[in-house]
Formats: sequence, structure tokens, C-alpha cells
Amino acid sequence: MNAPVTALASSTSRRQGAPRARRAVIALLGLATVALTLASVAIGYAPFDVPAACADLVAGRTTLPALVLWELRIPRALLGGLVGFSLGLTGAAMQGYLRNPLADPGILGISSAAALGAVIVFYGGLAASLSLALPLGGIAGAGVAALLLNALAARGSSTLGLILAGIGLSSLAGALTALALNLSPNPYAALEIVFWLMGSLSDRSLDHVLLCLPLMIVGWGLMLSTGPALDALTLGEDTAASLGIGLVSVRLRLVTGAALAVGSGVAVSGAIGFVGLAVPHLMRPLVGARPGASLLPSGLAGAVLVLAADIGVRLLATRPELKLGVVTALVGAPFLIVLLLQNRGRRA
Amino acid sequence: MPSRCALLLSAVLAALPVARAAGAAGAPVRVVSMNLCADELVLRLADRDQVLAVTYLAREPRGSTVAAEAVGLPVTRGLTEEVVALRPDLVIAGAFTTRATVGMLKRVGAPVLELGVPADLDGVRAQIRQVAAALGRSERGEAMVAALDARLAAITPAARPLRALVMRPNAFTVAPGGLGDALIRAAGLVNVAAEIGRDRFGQVPLEAAALADPDLIVVDEGAPGMPSLADTLLHHPVFRALARAHWTVAIPNRFWTCPGPQVAEVVARLAAAANARAARP
Amino acid sequence: MSLAAHDVRVVLGGRTILSDIGLALERGRFVGLVGPNGAGKTTLLRVLAGLIAPVDGRVTLEGHALSGMSRDARARRVAALFQGAVIGWPMTVREIVALGRLPHRRAFAGLSEADETAIAQAMARTDVGHLADRTEPTLSSGERMRALLARALAVEAAWLLVDEPVTALDPAHQLDAMALLRAVSRDGAGVVAVLHDLALAARFCDRIVVLSGGRLVADGRPEEALTDALLARVFGVTAERGLAADGTRYILPWARSGITEESDGAIIPG
Repeated sequence: MNAPVTALASSTSRRQGAPRARRAVIALLGLATVALTLASVAIGYAPFDVPAACADLVAGRTTLPALVLWELRIPRALLGGLVGFSLGLTGAAMQGYLRNPLADPGILGISSAAALGAVIVFYGGLAASLSLALPLGGIAGAGVAALLLNALAARGSSTLGLILAGIGLSSLAGALTALALNLSPNPYAALEIVFWLMGSLSDRSLDHVLLCLPLMIVGWGLMLSTGPALDALTLGEDTAASLGIGLVSVRLRLVTGAALAVGSGVAVSGAIGFVGLAVPHLMRPLVGARPGASLLPSGLAGAVLVLAADIGVRLLATRPELKLGVVTALVGAPFLIVLLLQNRGRRA
Repeated sequence: MPSRCALLLSAVLAALPVARAAGAAGAPVRVVSMNLCADELVLRLADRDQVLAVTYLAREPRGSTVAAEAVGLPVTRGLTEEVVALRPDLVIAGAFTTRATVGMLKRVGAPVLELGVPADLDGVRAQIRQVAAALGRSERGEAMVAALDARLAAITPAARPLRALVMRPNAFTVAPGGLGDALIRAAGLVNVAAEIGRDRFGQVPLEAAALADPDLIVVDEGAPGMPSLADTLLHHPVFRALARAHWTVAIPNRFWTCPGPQVAEVVARLAAAANARAARP
Repeated sequence: MSLAAHDVRVVLGGRTILSDIGLALERGRFVGLVGPNGAGKTTLLRVLAGLIAPVDGRVTLEGHALSGMSRDARARRVAALFQGAVIGWPMTVREIVALGRLPHRRAFAGLSEADETAIAQAMARTDVGHLADRTEPTLSSGERMRALLARALAVEAAWLLVDEPVTALDPAHQLDAMALLRAVSRDGAGVVAVLHDLALAARFCDRIVVLSGGRLVADGRPEEALTDALLARVFGVTAERGLAADGTRYILPWARSGITEESDGAIIPG
């Protein structure tokens, strides 16, 4: 009677070993995200009494410090976390789905299309009286890209077809963005392409957060729901289908989820590169290679990376402020190169 | 065919210094301006038939103070081949004209006058005289300097050294040591951007601006239908609160951009706003 | 208790791959699906797994149309293992086997006790328990095939469809795999395997279904189906037959016969 009980206990502990490590990673990353969000609120350019501003805010006094806290520091910190989570999660989902470790949220052309949408609406003059037209335009661009890719996915085109379509869409959107900026009536508009290419969180407001948050949450939900399907797709599309996975449904959920999360993020922060590419690679050694297991950790790690990078650009105090994409690449690229070299050594 | 073109080109290039010599001897110097600030001075100082071409920016009413004067004149995008084809006696380039373009013009023997970036009002006067002399119109240069000085002399500087913060979209300098800084000081004000010392592009983070507690906020004059990201800053809730709580004055970007007689307008508006602000209970 | 194809015709990319397929399969039997390259074997397997809908005819599972079932219900009843299934990420063997439980799991739920038991049994059955924490790139071909087979067994489906399970294996592992599939069928599941090795098929299968040019050309016990005439006509080979020391009959393809019936060139491989 004793022996089977012991055997069961030991098998139970072994079975929970991997999920337990994963839960620990998720908990740590969650804590780090919260800590960095608070640090991001506390760190800025001007000497600023955060507790006093908080007290004003809580008491409902609309002092300038309270307003700076509520409309500048807090939105910036929240957007760092939200955009980072979206990029990390989308990177992990896309890599898992395409079974390609080099896939990136930008690969489906959604980032570029979002930037194009925002640029057209904004510089075309439609946004003259409404500051929120910018993010709305970005989301519209992402939506159009998502519809195009959805149509393609619904026709059952292959994984390779989807990547090629994404590359085409991305190049076209990038070229049209540059064209739109050059055609803008504002002679200085062309200078602002750096924002769209490299991304920044400076001087965003709470409106930006409120606009992208609901869409991001829907996008996250769609992508997180594909976890088991991504696991099954590791064994190929036929096997996944034989396990009851609806291939078209998975594609639709991923494409739409990525469009919502990344599209609304790009619209308010510009395209911040490298997070979606690097973060899943950083997570796999910690949580294992199962694609579904790396979704949530990658999202959290993306939030941590973008928050840290955004704190970094403010602490570095270069003039003018460094764009976020520069820092994420500086931080992410060496990690990625080391990981790829290690990985190659292991496979050889 | 190509060899004939090359021959023609070298003939043109060889003729250039000769043409310039001819101009110095009495005939009007015909110029191509490659920079917005040069456009503004050239269009004000030269005879119209002396101007072969200006930049396309000169026609841009938001950025240029000579948009009306530029109408009807040929414009270039500042490319070497456009400039050379016009056979100018003189090419006036700015400090921000690409080095490659200036180098190319010099290599093909075109006489190039490169303008510096004045950091104060004396620098502005010197640049006016420099361009006027190069055009063979020194007397007009002296008249322009005199008009500038007269306009400046008529300004009542701010009674109290109020703290002014320039929040201009796409601003190119109000940093200490720049012309913008000099204009603010000439109006009797304290340049808060120089105090914050952020960057040489005058881009002040909004929170630094909000917490610097300026008396006077200087913004660009709005231009509907020409949006830029930088403009949206002026719609940010924090900026709107700042503008409500403090005195705001709008000064069009084009008055700050270049050294010329229009800089007196900046000083005048700043001083007037400061005095109005000081008069407020 | 049957999986059946009724007058099935399949067209892919404008080409007819299968036509007039009528086939009734019983549980508890090990069926070998054989035929020359391009005969449509893998396509038939995919049709039986419900992954391809026939343009004419229908596939039924216990009397109900397969196309009318929910994906999960179908996946719980019919497990499939396809050839050359690449493992896209270096997952552990245990994680790979656990994928077999996906049709049984609710969204975002962890593994239940029943799942754990099924995984453990499947791994024990294919003898990959000691490999549980190894990742895919470190496995040999035999270990890899056994891990994938364990994944298919973990579904605990009434039907197991397998595409070329022994192609990449050495003789010992081929025999092990065939014995395992036969044992699975003895436990009550219906097993269908696409096989190229006629000797192994004849030795282990209860029933042989021969496809050629997208049509069913023979169906019966091995010695009934794999006649000399059929081997010559369909495969273009002659065979040596005999009685092994343990009393079983064997068939050994021995030489080309010269007279072959060309497979339809228009048919895609597999």
C-alpha cells in the first residue's frame, strides 16, 4: 500500500517541477513589472515630490504636481508596461505560431501599417482639432492590416504565405509612411519619422492609455487563448488538426490579437523594435521551449524591458532624449547574439 | 553625346569664376540661395533680377518671412546639379547645407559664400552686412541694420526679469549661447529653457516645463491644417493647465528661425507680453 | 464500432486523389494500408482522421458523419500520427506526450489525474519513461518515433491512424513498433498504419488494404490481399513466400517483375 503512494507522490512532484519553475518566473517578472512601474513614476527630469503630488491627487487638488503625476508620469509608466507586454506577448505568439525563432510582431506588417495609419490621419490634417486622432489612426491602420491578413488566413494560405504577405505589407507600409511624411503640408513632418521608426513614450497623456488599454486587453486575451494550439502546432499542422485544433481559428485569433495589441501600441509609442524578437529567447531557458509556456512570461518580460529602457533614456539624459528603440536594441541585441551562439553550440 | 555633355559642363564650370569677376567689376551679381535664412536676406537685399533661385522653403508661409517675395521665382531643393545649371555668380549656403553639397560646389569651382549661425544681435548685424556686400548692395545692408536698430530702440524692455519658457514645436534653439537666448535677454527676460539646460534643440520635456514654474510661456503661432507631432504637445492636458495658469504669448516660428530684421519683432512681442503680464494684478 | 468511408472521392488542387473508396474498419484490428508511392495512402489517412473533407461520399464513425462532430469530440476518438512530423521547438519528451491530452482538456486548465495517468501509461508502453526530461534534439530517431507514438497513444482514442511509423527505424525498433501497434489493437483500438514494408505489413497486420492510383484494389487478410498477381500488377515485384521457424507465413519482395501498372502520374506523392 505504501509503495504506490510514494510512487504517486514522487511522480506528482516531478510533474509539477516545470510548472512550478514557470510560476516562480511569472511571479518574479510580475513583481519586477510593478517595481519598475513605480520606479518609472518616481524617476523623471525635474525634481518632483512624488508623495506630495500623490497626496494632492488623492485629495482631489488639481495642483500642477498632481497633474504632472496623473497626466505625465503615470501614463508614461503605464504605457511602458502595456506596450512592452503587447510586444513581448506578440513576439512569443508569432514565434510559436510560425515556428520561427526570428519572427517578430513587425513581421506581419502590423507595426508598419499602424504607423502608416497614424501618419496618414495625423499629417493629412484630419487631426488638427483632436489629439486622439493619432492613436485612432494607428488602430485603423492596424485594423486594415489585420483584415487583409485575415482574408489571407481565412483562405487557408500557408505559414510561409503569411510571412511573405507580412513582409510585403510591411515594406509597402514603410514606403507609404515615408511618402506621406514627405507630402505633409508641414515642412518639419519628415523630421518626425524617427518617432515612428524608433518609438518614444515622452509626453504621452492618460488619454493615450485609456484609448489603447481596452483594445490591448482584447488582443492579449485572443493571443493567450492560442497557447495550447501553439503547443500542438509544434508537431505540425496535420497533427495539431488531429488534436482538435482549428487551424483557421488559431490564425484569426493570432492575427487579430496582434493587430489590436501591437497596432494600438505603435499608434501611441511608435514602433519599438527588438522587444518582440528578443524577449521570447530570454524566456525559453527559464520556462522551457513549449510555446504556450512562454506567452505570459514573454509579455511580462517585454513590459520589464520597455519600462527599464524608458527609465534608462531618462537617466541617460542625452539631449535630445534617446528614442526607446535605440535602447531596446542596445540591451536586447547582445543578449540575443549570445543566446543564438550558445544555442548553435548546443545543437552542433 | 556624354563626352559633349562633359565638355559643356566643364566649359560652364570654367566660366564661373570669370563671371564672378565680371560681377565684381560692376555688372549685378546673380545668386542662387541654398538655405532659407540666406533666401530671406537675399530676397530683401538684392534686386529681383539678381536672384536666380531660392529654396522651396522660402515659399512656405509658415516658416518663411519672405513667402510673398519668393512667389514667381525659381526654386531649388538645394541639389548641386540644379545650382550649377543656373550658372550663378555666387552661391550662398548656410551652415546646415550638407557638407557634401558645399564640397561638390567648391570642387567644380563655384564661388560659395557660407553663412555662419549668429549667436547674438551683433552677429545678425554682421551677417546682414556680409550678404549685402556679397550682393554688391552694401548700402541696403546698412539701411537694414539701421532699421533693425531703430526698431529695437523703440522697444520698452520688460520692467521685471520675468521667467520665460519657450515651448515651440520643432524649435531649433533657445539654448544658452544661441540667438533665441539673446533675443529673450534683449527683451529683459530670463530664459528658463537655458536654466533647465536640456538640449540644444530647445526641446524641453513637458514635465520639466511644468515644474520650472515659468511666468511667461512662449508658443508658436498655430497654423491649422499643418499638423506635426510637436504641435500635439500644445494639446496635452498638462500643457493646457500650464497655459491656463500662466501668461502665454504666441510668436510665429518664422520670426525666430533666421537672423534678419524680423528678430526685432520677437524682442518686441516678448517685451510687450512681459509688460502686460507684469501689469496683471 | 466502426470507422468507414463510403464512396469517397477526394480532389485536391483540382486533381482527383482518391475515388470510389469504400472501406469499413473494425476496432480491435491492425490494418496495413499499402500501395506504391503516389497511390493516395496518406490522403486516405487524412480523410479518415477528418482533416480533409471528401467532395463526394462521407466518412462515418460509429454511424455518425465525422464532419458533423465537434473538433474535440473527433480528436478524442481518432488519434493520428503523421510521417515526418517535425518537432518545432526543443520541448521535453514529457511535454510532447502531454500534447496528446489536449482534446481532453478545458481551456486554461492544467493536467488532471486522468491526463497524468494516460501520459504515464503511454510513456511506459513505448518505453520512453526514462527520456521524460530529455529535449527533442537530443533524441535518436527511434527514441523520437517512440515519443511521438506515445503522444498519439496518450490521446486514448478508439482509433489510431499512423503514417509510415517504421520508415526511419532500425530493424529492432521496426519490430518493436509493429508489435506495439498490434498490441494496441489487441487492447481494443482500431489501428490503421500506412506501411511501405510489405514483409512487415504481412507479418503483423490482420488485414491489408491496397491502394493504387487513388483506388482500392485489394482488401483482405495478408495472404488474400498480397497475391502474386497483385504484387506484380501494383508494385511491379515478385515475392518469395515461406514459413518462418515459429510457424508464421512470410512474404518477401524479391525481384522486379517487369510488368507494372503505372501509378497515375497526376497523383501527388504519399
